[in-house]
Amino acid sequence: MLLGTIIYAVINSVILILMSIGFNLTFGISGISNFAYGALYILAAFVTWMLIQLVGLPYLASALISIFFTAFIGALMYRFILMRVRGQVLSEVIATFGIGLAILEFFRYLGFVGVEYALPVFIDESFMVGDVYVDAQRMLIVAAGIVLVILLWLFVHYTSTGLAFRGIAQDERTALTFGMDSDRIATLSVSLGAGLAAIAATVIIPLGTISVSQGYDVLINALAVSIIGGLGSTGGVIVASLLVGFAQRFTDTYIGSHWTMIVSLVAILLVLVIKPSGIYGKQKELEERI
Amino acid sequence: MKRRLGVVGLFLAMGLVFSFFAYAAEPIVIGVPTSTGFVEGKEGLAVVEMAVAEINAKGGVKVGSEKRMFTVEAIDIRDAAPGVPVPEALMGIEKLILEKKPTALLIGPFRSEALLAAMDIFTKYKVPMIGSIAMTPASEAKIKQEPDKYKYVFRTCLNAKYLVGYLVGTMSFLNKEFGFNKVYIMHQDVAWARGTAGGIVKSYFEKAGWTVVGQESYPTGASDFSSALMKARSGGAQVILPIFDMPQSGTLVKQWKSMKVPALLAGFISPLAGPGAWKTFDKKIGGAVNCNFEMGSAVASPKVPQSVEFLKAYQKKFGKPMEAGHGPAPTYESVYILKEAIERAGSLDPDALVAEIKKTDRTGVMGRIRFDDGQQAIFGNDPKETAVASVFQWTDKGERVNVYPEAIADAKIKLPAGLKVAK
Repeated sequence: MLLGTIIYAVINSVILILMSIGFNLTFGISGISNFAYGALYILAAFVTWMLIQLVGLPYLASALISIFFTAFIGALMYRFILMRVRGQVLSEVIATFGIGLAILEFFRYLGFVGVEYALPVFIDESFMVGDVYVDAQRMLIVAAGIVLVILLWLFVHYTSTGLAFRGIAQDERTALTFGMDSDRIATLSVSLGAGLAAIAATVIIPLGTISVSQGYDVLINALAVSIIGGLGSTGGVIVASLLVGFAQRFTDTYIGSHWTMIVSLVAILLVLVIKPSGIYGKQKELEERI
Repeated sequence: MKRRLGVVGLFLAMGLVFSFFAYAAEPIVIGVPTSTGFVEGKEGLAVVEMAVAEINAKGGVKVGSEKRMFTVEAIDIRDAAPGVPVPEALMGIEKLILEKKPTALLIGPFRSEALLAAMDIFTKYKVPMIGSIAMTPASEAKIKQEPDKYKYVFRTCLNAKYLVGYLVGTMSFLNKEFGFNKVYIMHQDVAWARGTAGGIVKSYFEKAGWTVVGQESYPTGASDFSSALMKARSGGAQVILPIFDMPQSGTLVKQWKSMKVPALLAGFISPLAGPGAWKTFDKKIGGAVNCNFEMGSAVASPKVPQSVEFLKAYQKKFGKPMEAGHGPAPTYESVYILKEAIERAGSLDPDALVAEIKKTDRTGVMGRIRFDDGQQAIFGNDPKETAVASVFQWTDKGERVNVYPEAIADAKIKLPAGLKVAK
């Protein structure tokens, strides 16, 4: 039982990392809280589903197209809406939340309701780890999470765009004096965040089905993990995901499943009391910067 | 002069003709306030339109000496969606009544909380409502307490009490047939599912000597059931009883299969009802036993031939099979119940209609329908005597086979690999 709980806690933690890393990255670089994040996750899932079911493309091609499409939508969001309200926190929140609502309700309006909307698993197998059965899709999610975090780290440390991301995130005024285009970087960050939401959707959703209401759940999870870890900190997201992921699974096994919902809320409250900016947060510095 | 008279006569004749057509064309409005964003509401509305098209194609409804057509006015009250408050759903119902002036309402609220609150609106505007989704027996209790006040509310679908009855029947069958007496209960943390689980524990498991290995409630939206499945395995449960209506609950079946838990999954999981579940859940649902709320809602039986015809007609009209295991069949029947009541009453007067709906005795897609004194359709085990639900098992080939009640069963429950008979 203990081994099983630990294995599924690791899987749960990686799912949380995948779900929240894009939201956190966008905030860290551009300072924008993208409340359309959950909707972009669902958009990517439905686009993948349509490409597979209606166009007949294979899964990998469909997933890649939907990731680029969602990233493009993210870029459009910034260029046509967010650029006009950037810096006005409340307007950013209202604008992104409104876009998210519009996307989700559009799918509901089109009739995307029911259980037939599901993505296929990559490998239909289960393996024994100790005395616990784990399916291949969950193992793949863990692998995808690890690879994604490594690639992101390499990207922001060894590419010129990644270094520009870090420059803007660390000190935007100084970065501007070096000729960095703040709006270009912000466009890329919203676009990359949206693309990461799409990657998460294409690897996580094969475990279940696609439903419009999931968009809100993904946003809440991303927000919870980002607040606990410290908004804008990738390391914080990883640590917070592990903390929340393990706490949820151990609560599930040893206390009761219905208590898992409040684990992240209790964690947020504790963090706000002990360290208001989150475990690795620099929220106050960011406020001063703006 | 003659010419002038002729012109006047022509105008008068034209006026008469137009007024005749205008009068004859005035349709009878059926209002459908429901959660159309959910498959039960969406397919429920579709079958209302299907039944109305059938009736209109045959000349419409006879009201006294004239034939009139049905027309449908729907509104999405969204009460099934998380976070939508009951007053918002009530506003939608009231808007539909005031703006479209329906003769009767069909389907009605999705959540029982909304139905209970809406009962006073139906009374206020004297609009008969034949519900087919919300399941609380509390509405029947209100009707029995104040029959004159709440006489406008009827229900054609299965209620929670009958659901408990079918699930108890299935568990009892498993006990007799295989000697199983260890169960793990997993249910959604919502009123009807909690009530159903509690009802089965009290009315059956405790009395029949079963061991409840564990009972776990899950918040709506939960999608990882691994902990409970591990507990069920380590506790030696022979049966896992799930009670869920959320879309994510299908994941439980996939996880049960991939974790190879040696226990029979038998209960109610809403997304498992329709034929699409086989593909949706990666062909990993073979062996699962599921209670379908009403015969004809996504599941048919050759022993109820109307149910087979109904699903064929649905597929032909909409180009895809029905997926909702709760709602469509009683909704379809509701349209015909209303038609027959109007024809018997010979008027659209709400009180006259209510009196005639009470007298309903028709055999249709879910068996024989009559109402009890709580104005609930009577469910039982013989489609010739009552309406019936069906309990079916998914085979490893992706077919659904009726296994309970006996009157409609086509096969016996087969145990999944690794699970042995306990007696």
